[in-house]
Amino acid sequence: MKSAPTLGVTLGATLRATAAVSAAAVLAVTATACGSSGPGAAGGSGGGGRVTVWTLQDTAFNPVQKKSVSAYNAASKDTRATMQTFVNDPYKQKLQTALGSPNAPDVFLNWGGGNLSTYVKSGEVADLSADLDATFTAKFLPSVLAAGTLDGKVYGVPMEGVQPVALFSNKDVFAAAGITAPPATWQDLLADIDTLKAKKVTPIALAGSQAWTELMWLEYLLDRVGGPEVFAGIQAGTPGAWDDPAVATALGMIRDLVERGAFGTNYGSVSQDSGGADALLAKGRAGMELMGSWEYAGQLATAPKFVKDGKLGWTTFPTVPGGKGDPKNVVGNPSNFFSVTAKSANRSDAVDFVKKTVTEPSYVSDLLSIGQVPAVAGIDAQIKASPNADYTGFIYQLVAGAPSFTQSWDQALDPATAQKLLTNLQKVFNKQSTPQQFVSAMDAK
Amino acid sequence: MSIAVPRGSDGRPGALWAVPALLYFALFAVVPMALVVALSFTDWSGLGSPHWAGARNWTRLLHDPGLGQSLRLSLLLTVVTWAVQTLICLPLGVWCAGPQRSRAVLGTLFFVPLLMSSAAVALLFGALLDPNFGLAHTVGPWIGVDDGNFIGDPHKALWTVTAVITWQFVPFHTLLYQAAARQVPAQLYEAATIDGAGRWRQFASITLPQLRNTVVTSSVLILVGSLTYFDIVLILTDGGPGTSTRILPLHMYLTGFSSFDMGYASVLAVLLLAAGTTLSLLVVRITGFRRMTSQREGL
Amino acid sequence: MSTTDTLTRERRPHRTAAARSPRRARARRTGRPYRRADWAGGAAAAVWLVIVAVPLYYVVASSLRDRSDYLDAGPLSLPHHLVFSNYRTVLDSGFPTYLWNSIVVSAATVALVLLLALPAAYAVVRSRSRFVSAGFSVMLMGLAIPAQATIVPVYLIITRLHVYDTLLAVILPTAAFSLPMAILVLTSTMRDIPGELYEAMTMDGAAALQTLRSLVLPLSRPGLVTIGIYTALGAWNGFIFPLVLTQSDARRTVTLGLWNYQGQQGGVNVPATMAAVLLSLLPLLVAYLFGRRQLLSGLTAGFGK
Repeated sequence: MKSAPTLGVTLGATLRATAAVSAAAVLAVTATACGSSGPGAAGGSGGGGRVTVWTLQDTAFNPVQKKSVSAYNAASKDTRATMQTFVNDPYKQKLQTALGSPNAPDVFLNWGGGNLSTYVKSGEVADLSADLDATFTAKFLPSVLAAGTLDGKVYGVPMEGVQPVALFSNKDVFAAAGITAPPATWQDLLADIDTLKAKKVTPIALAGSQAWTELMWLEYLLDRVGGPEVFAGIQAGTPGAWDDPAVATALGMIRDLVERGAFGTNYGSVSQDSGGADALLAKGRAGMELMGSWEYAGQLATAPKFVKDGKLGWTTFPTVPGGKGDPKNVVGNPSNFFSVTAKSANRSDAVDFVKKTVTEPSYVSDLLSIGQVPAVAGIDAQIKASPNADYTGFIYQLVAGAPSFTQSWDQALDPATAQKLLTNLQKVFNKQSTPQQFVSAMDAK
Repeated sequence: MSIAVPRGSDGRPGALWAVPALLYFALFAVVPMALVVALSFTDWSGLGSPHWAGARNWTRLLHDPGLGQSLRLSLLLTVVTWAVQTLICLPLGVWCAGPQRSRAVLGTLFFVPLLMSSAAVALLFGALLDPNFGLAHTVGPWIGVDDGNFIGDPHKALWTVTAVITWQFVPFHTLLYQAAARQVPAQLYEAATIDGAGRWRQFASITLPQLRNTVVTSSVLILVGSLTYFDIVLILTDGGPGTSTRILPLHMYLTGFSSFDMGYASVLAVLLLAAGTTLSLLVVRITGFRRMTSQREGL
Repeated sequence: MSTTDTLTRERRPHRTAAARSPRRARARRTGRPYRRADWAGGAAAAVWLVIVAVPLYYVVASSLRDRSDYLDAGPLSLPHHLVFSNYRTVLDSGFPTYLWNSIVVSAATVALVLLLALPAAYAVVRSRSRFVSAGFSVMLMGLAIPAQATIVPVYLIITRLHVYDTLLAVILPTAAFSLPMAILVLTSTMRDIPGELYEAMTMDGAAALQTLRSLVLPLSRPGLVTIGIYTALGAWNGFIFPLVLTQSDARRTVTLGLWNYQGQQGGVNVPATMAAVLLSLLPLLVAYLFGRRQLLSGLTAGFGK
C-alpha cells in the first residue's frame, strides 16, 4: 500500500509493511477485493470524457476514493472517472511499462519526489502549473507539496495522508525501567538504551531483514547532523556528495548503536512484513521503534488493547548536539500524489478530476476518519474533532511545523541507486561494512 | 520395407507432427531468448523504448562486484542442495519402499510438502524463522544459535535457505527412490542373504547399483530445477542480509525489476541462459538422451 | 536393421515389464526373508518425520488461534481456544478467486502441454525426419532454462498479443517452459514400447494417426499421467509469470495471493497468513487424500527405471 517507503524498490517485501493504514481496515472492512479492477481492467483510457484513475489497493483507503469518484461523477455531466486499483509491489513496475503505452491511465498515483521525477524526465507527466492557480496550491502544506514540485513546476498533487517517521515507544517498558520521558536528545537516547539493556529488554525494535526500516535511522541522523542539504546534494547526483563528512558521522553513530546492543543481536532476522518488530514493541519486549506514522494504525489493528490503554508513546526524533540540521525537520513519505499523464487524451477532464476531488471537505474528513492526516493546510479544528486526535494532531503539527520534509531516500533516488543504498546500508547494520566502505561503495559508479 | 507401403503411409509420423510443439516453443521460449540477447546491448528502464548501448552493459560485467558473489552463491546452492537431497532421499526412499505397512503410512506424511507451493513454503518458514516469536526462538538455543538469528546472519542465511529448499524438495526425490527401490527384484536380495551378505553389503552391492539410473534422473531434476529456486529466495530473504543470498537468478531479477536496469539485467539473463544451456547439454551428454535418439532413428 | 537395434529392442521390453508392474514386484518381495528391523533407517526416518510434521503442525495450529495467543503462547503450544476468524479473513479477501484462477491455469496448462507434447514426442520417437531430431535437440537445450531469464521479452510478446492481465497470459508461457520436460518424459516412455508392436501395426497398414491412437496412446499412459501431474504442480507453483504478466486482483493466482497476504493483514498477522497457506494447499490435499496412490505412483512412473 501506500507509500511504502520502499515501494517497489525491493519489489519483494518491502512495502507491504505499510499496509498499515489498511491494517486499520482489516478489522472493519472485509473485502480486499474492493478494487474496481474487474475484467478489462487493463484497458487504456477511452476517449470522450472518460478519465481512468490508477491507484493502489488499500482496504481502508479505497472506499474513501470510491466515494469521492462517485461524488465527482454525479456532479459532472459528461466526465466519467473510473478507478483501477493495483497491488502495491508490482505497481511501480506496472507504471514503468504502461506510461507512454496505449495502456496508460489519465491520472495515476505516485510517491512524488524522485519517483515522480523519473517519469517527468522521460516526458510522461503533464506540467500542471498553468492549470492550478495559487489559491488551489496554497491549500496544501508547503513541505509536502514540494515533493510534487520539480524546478518550480507542479507535477503532482497530494491526495493522501502525510507519513512522517517518528519514534514510538512502549510506556510500560519505559516505566518499568524508570525512564520518565521519551529521549529528547541523542545522549538521552544512548542513556535509555543502556538502561533498557540492563533490564534485559531489547532497547529498540528493528526489522533488519528489510533494509528500508534501517534506512530511517540514516535519514534522520544525516538530517540532524548535516542538514537536509547533504541529501539534497546526493539526490541531485552532485559528484562526491556521499563523501560529505556528515554521512560518515551519521553512519558512525549507527555503528555505535549497533555495537551498544541497541537493536539486540537478532534484528537481522526480524521482518516488518510479518510484523516481527511491531510485535516486539507491543508485547513489551522492546522499548522503542522508529517507524512511519502508519505504525499507530498498524498497532491499533493488531494490538488494539496496547493502543487503547494508552501504552503506545510517540515523539520526534532526538536532537543531535552540534548538528547543522533544524531539529524540527522530518523525513518519511510526504504523501502520495496524483499526476496527469502527458499524453492523456482527456487532459482537461483529468485536471478537472484532480482539482475537484483531493481538497473536498468530505474527502478530507473521510481521510481523517480512517486515520490519515491529509496534507491540507488549516484543518486543525477538524483534526481535534477526529478520532485519535492526540496522535493525528501530533503528526499534523510535526509536518506543518517542519521547515523541511525529506522524502524517504529509497523513493527519492533512482531505483538502481536506491537498491545499492539499501544493500550497502544493511551491511553496515550487520557489521559487514564500515562507514568508510559504505561511502566508497556508494561513490563507485 | 518401403516396397509394400506407399510413401507417407509407412505408419510413421511425418515431421509435421512435431511442428505445433516446435513453433509454440519457438515463440515463447526461443524468440524471447534471442530478444534477451538483443536487449543486452541496449539501455532501457522499462519506460519508453530501449536505446542502443553497444557493448557497454557487457563491459560492466567486469566491474560488477555482485556478479562473482552471485555466481559463487548459485554454484554453492546447487551443489549443496544436490548433495544434501541425494544423501537424504536415497536412504529415505529405500526405507519407505520397505514392505511394512507402517512405512507406507509414514511415507504418506512425508510427501505432504510436495503439495505446497514455493510461496507457501517461504511464508511458512518466514514465520518459523522469526527469532522472537517463531520456532527459531525455541530451536536456536538447542543448536548453538542462542538468539535464533538464522536468516538475518550473513554467515547462516544461505545455509538456512538451503535447508528450506531441501525441506521442500526432499519428498519428491524420496518418492522417486521409493518407486525405484520397489522395483529391485527380490531374488537379488534372496540370493545375497543366502550368500550371507549383511544389510550394508546388500545396500552397497545391490540397492545402490540398481538405483543408478534413478540417481541420474533425480540429479538431473535437481540440477535442472536449481536455477529456478528464485521465488523461494525472493520471498524468504530478498537476497539479504546485504547480498548474502543474492543468487544469480535473483541478481538478474532485482537488477531488472527493482533497479529497472533492463539492459544489464539482460546481460545477466544471457549468463543465466548460458548456464541453463550448459547444464542441459551436460545432462543430455551424461544421460545419453540424444544418443538414444540417433541410435534408433538414424538406422 | 542392425544388430544393435535388435539388441536394444530385446533388452528394453524386458526391463520395462519389471518397471511397469510394481504391484507384482511388491508381491514378490513380501516373501523376502529379510525382516530384521532396520533401526538406523528407522531412526533417520523418525528424525525426518519430526522435521516434516512440526512445520505442518505449526501451520494448522497457528491458523486456528488469534494473534495475541500466538505471540504469547509460543509457536508450538496448542491453541488456547480454537478461532476460525483467520479463515474468515482470508476467504473474505478474494482467496476463492485466487484458488479458482490457479485451478484454471493448471488445468489449461496441462491440456495445452499434453496436446502439443504427445504428437511431438511421437514424432521424435518414430519419425525419420532430420528436422524433428534437430527440433528435439533445441527443446532439450531448453530443459534447464530458467523462465525468469526470458521474462522481459515474454512480457513484450504477451502485451503484443493483447492478452496481458488475462489467465491466458500466464498459461501460454508456463506451457512453453513445461514442454521440454514433457516431451523428454514422453519420448522415453514411448521408446519403451516394443518395436515389434509398431511394426505389427505397420504391417496391418495402420497410418500414423491410427498407430498413435490404438498403440502409442494406451501404452504411454504412465508417461502422460506423470507429465500431467508434474506440469500441474509446476503451473500451480508458478510465481514469476503471474507476477509480471497479470496485474488485477481478479486475475491473481494463489501463489501471488499468498505473497501479497503477508503485508496485507496489517503486516502482522501470522495466524491469518498460515490460514492462507493452508487454504492454498487444500485442493491438492483433497486430491492427495483421495488419489494418493495414483498421484504418487503417477508422478514417478514416467521417470521410471
